Amino acid sequence: MTFLAWKTALLLAGVAVPLLLLLYFLKLRRREHTVSSTLLWKRAVHDLQVNAPFQRLRSSLLLLLQLLFLAAVLFALAHPVADFLEKPPQNIVLLIDRSASMKTLEPDGRPRLAHAKDAALDRVAGLPEKSRAMVISFADRAAVVSTFTDDRRRLRRLIEDIEPTDAPSRIGEALQLAVAYSVHAVGEHGPDGSAAVAPAGGDAAGGGPAGAAAAAGAAQAEVEVYSDGRLEDVPEETAVPIVLRYIRVGAASDNVGLVGFGLRRDFEQPGLLAVMAQVRNFGPEAVAADLSLSIDGTPISGPGGVREVRLAPAAADSSVRPPAASDPPTAETVLFEIIHEGGGVLEVRWHREDALAADNLIVAPIDPPREPRVLVVSDRPAVRALLLRGLASVGVSRVEALSGEEYAAAPEGRLTRDGRLAFDLAVLDRIDTGRLPPGDYLFFGGLPRVDGVARGELVEDQPVVAWREDHPLVRWVPFEGVYVARWSRLTLPEGALALAEGEDSVVLALLTDPGHRYLLAAFDLADTDLLSRPAWPIFLQNVVTAAVGAGLVEAARRVTPGDTLTVPVPPGATRARVYRPDGATDTLEVADRQSIPYARTQEVGFYRVVFDDPAGTEERFAANLLSPVESWVAPSEALAVGGRAVEPFTGVVRVNRPLWPWLAGAGLLLLMAEWWVYHRRVMI
Amino acid sequence: MAETPAVTSRVRSGDSLLDPDFMARLERLEIVSRKIHSSRQKGERQSKRKGESAEFADYRNYVVGDDIRHIDWNIYARLEKLFLKVFLEEEDLNVTILLDASASMDAGQPSKLLYAKRTAAALGYLGLCDLDRVNLYAYNDRLTVWLDGLRGRRMIARLIQFLQDIQPSGKSHFAAAARQFAMRHTQKGVAVILSDFFDKGGFESGLRYLAGRRLDLYAIHLLSPQELEPDLAGDLKLVDCEDEDVAEITVSRPLLDRYRANLRAYCESIRDYCHRRGMVYLMVPTSRPFEGLILHYLRQRGLLR
Repeated sequence: MTFLAWKTALLLAGVAVPLLLLLYFLKLRRREHTVSSTLLWKRAVHDLQVNAPFQRLRSSLLLLLQLLFLAAVLFALAHPVADFLEKPPQNIVLLIDRSASMKTLEPDGRPRLAHAKDAALDRVAGLPEKSRAMVISFADRAAVVSTFTDDRRRLRRLIEDIEPTDAPSRIGEALQLAVAYSVHAVGEHGPDGSAAVAPAGGDAAGGGPAGAAAAAGAAQAEVEVYSDGRLEDVPEETAVPIVLRYIRVGAASDNVGLVGFGLRRDFEQPGLLAVMAQVRNFGPEAVAADLSLSIDGTPISGPGGVREVRLAPAAADSSVRPPAASDPPTAETVLFEIIHEGGGVLEVRWHREDALAADNLIVAPIDPPREPRVLVVSDRPAVRALLLRGLASVGVSRVEALSGEEYAAAPEGRLTRDGRLAFDLAVLDRIDTGRLPPGDYLFFGGLPRVDGVARGELVEDQPVVAWREDHPLVRWVPFEGVYVARWSRLTLPEGALALAEGEDSVVLALLTDPGHRYLLAAFDLADTDLLSRPAWPIFLQNVVTAAVGAGLVEAARRVTPGDTLTVPVPPGATRARVYRPDGATDTLEVADRQSIPYARTQEVGFYRVVFDDPAGTEERFAANLLSPVESWVAPSEALAVGGRAVEPFTGVVRVNRPLWPWLAGAGLLLLMAEWWVYHRRVMI
Repeated sequence: MAETPAVTSRVRSGDSLLDPDFMARLERLEIVSRKIHSSRQKGERQSKRKGESAEFADYRNYVVGDDIRHIDWNIYARLEKLFLKVFLEEEDLNVTILLDASASMDAGQPSKLLYAKRTAAALGYLGLCDLDRVNLYAYNDRLTVWLDGLRGRRMIARLIQFLQDIQPSGKSHFAAAARQFAMRHTQKGVAVILSDFFDKGGFESGLRYLAGRRLDLYAIHLLSPQELEPDLAGDLKLVDCEDEDVAEITVSRPLLDRYRANLRAYCESIRDYCHRRGMVYLMVPTSRPFEGLILHYLRQRGLLR
């Protein structure tokens, strides 16, 4: 048996035992006895007190019981633990999931995260004195709550301070951090005092297994994951062998969540708003409830705004991965079509209380419909005419055409408005330019003068072999019928997205940076038959739609909780206030910046960014969960890491089983006995 | 001297104090005074002072002024010198008994007061039988009752009744009572103090008052067995029966040892004080048989003969 808090107990004993003895002397209840004279008795007592520093304690059952009671309490406070159980690790990393699913209300009314924290606190409390623990919380990102420390009080405080988020759960980064810190910690505090050679985290592979094995041979860190196991990522096996334990938390499974959402204005009838919401039942019971639509808090009445949805119970599934969102009959997609000419905030709400509330609401900012404006810059009249015709064919009527020289010489006020490009899209034909106000650009044969973009040799006689069919810009564009005679081999910065490729080079690429979106066609329009192919109007439609948001309304302003917002800064603004869904406000300094990032989007809901420019510009964003993984709140049977499933740890986690409850019980019994003896004596 | 039947019956009514057999055995004793006392009346008692009784004591030379009636003419006829016959003088003895009747005397088993009453009755009886002048005083913080000038056997019933009527009460203040006694009682003689001497004001002042009267003093210190060997245990609040003073104790062997040592020292201090002033100190446990006290113990200590 060892004592985890023997110092505390010793300190209290130093105070309590003398106090008890003092009380014993002061508070003794005495029997009355009449004597002929107290003269000699007083002298005797006085003599004893004078001659002895302490009056010897008379053997007293009461005092014995009280001392035993005190001893039991002090032993309990010393936090004794039985050491016949498994020896605990020296270093332990606690990964605490704080993703959206950890907000699930358990049957006892407490959120799942509270249970996870309780389990982690118990674990910390049960650690022997020399052990050290590290705490990492994770959702979409990992955060080191505490590095390795043996300060248990600090660990308790930091664990208790962990707050839940609405962000999805990704454990990969947290595991890498845990491994990195563990290797470092073992190196620092290994038994032989030598530094470990294993590199940290994902770079551990470079260090080789030898270093990892050396570290593992020492006081190897163990990683315990306190989670419901609902992870969006499947982390790779770590190069450093670690002991991974999955502490499954939670029991609630009744949840219906909104897992899909789409919002589109009809291109020909912009006032017609199509809203698609997919709702899915993850619980074991069949459910029926209303799905409603409202704009600016006003419900849309009638069948166009409210639908009753009946969902079958989710099938019992013990696999690690959640079922596909389209699995019938547990999910249903509901389409609302309403006429709404203005802007506002659209809400889709699922009217049923379940374990997780974060996935019962979708919010989306919508702007009034507007007609797209396109700038065409070309020095070739024929190409310019073809471009104007193509734009007209997809319904774009507000088109302005400039030559390259005119574009370069155009006054700032003609090209820009509020610090951004005054057009929804600029199409540049064989123009290389560095005049690029924030906005959307489509380059044919030309390139923007930005870092990392360069033109190489020509590629000839190669077909377009692949394209991203799922990307909105090239969706449904039949590239298989398009012939491109030659194109330039492009050098692109990291992060550029190839939308169409030849055998070894990029034909069409998307490059984005804050405020800009460049769609780069590596070919000249004169070297392709694209303009005469059915693919052309479709491609043009996609590009215009993406640029003006006429189809997917404000898709860029809907994010997943935890994502970073990029907010363009209007001219004249020096400060921005961000109003969060929880009512809190953040103030950001934005002077002399084109755009500002904002990452505190941990909660689902509506975010308003209000600038202090003369126009009082306001940008609106919405964070929605829309995650089948998070909505599937039933705890996972296993944790998938690197292709293997870690079963929930049900073994002897209770290392150092605390003995204080037994001692507290013994103390109570002793107290009762003392009470009985006391009254018995008084009655005598 | 034969006692009358009436007196006998009244004495018998005080059986709790004296029984007839014991009274008969007492009649062979007498109270002894170690000092020469001048009394107003001649008594039956031989005095150490030479005087005028019929019992010859010695011869001495005649000096002018001597009573010529005591000249031994036969010796003058033979030796032609005048010698005077000296006779032992018989005197009247004052026997005074001071009885502590404070509340503390009621304590003990047997009661110290009863023991004191029986002792007083026995001594008084002896005095009356010897035609001594018997005086009885009861006191607590002052003289409460007294009966003086008793003489002769016929006073025995009165003496017994007086003793029986004494009730324990009040707080002991020996010094005040002794002072009052000293002012009231001017006669010489034998004085016997029967007390437990549990007096928080101290015993010294009281004894000093009595010593100043040149009395032949006997201090009989009565202690009950419970006071000599307390049978106490546990945590106690001791309450003084006289002044309700409280002493909180936890009885332990060291405490009891200390108490006994203090009691011994207290008795020793009274004894020393008495001896230094020519008094006789007798510590008497009330567990000692009363008859033995009178018939043997007091004889050994010289109070009785």
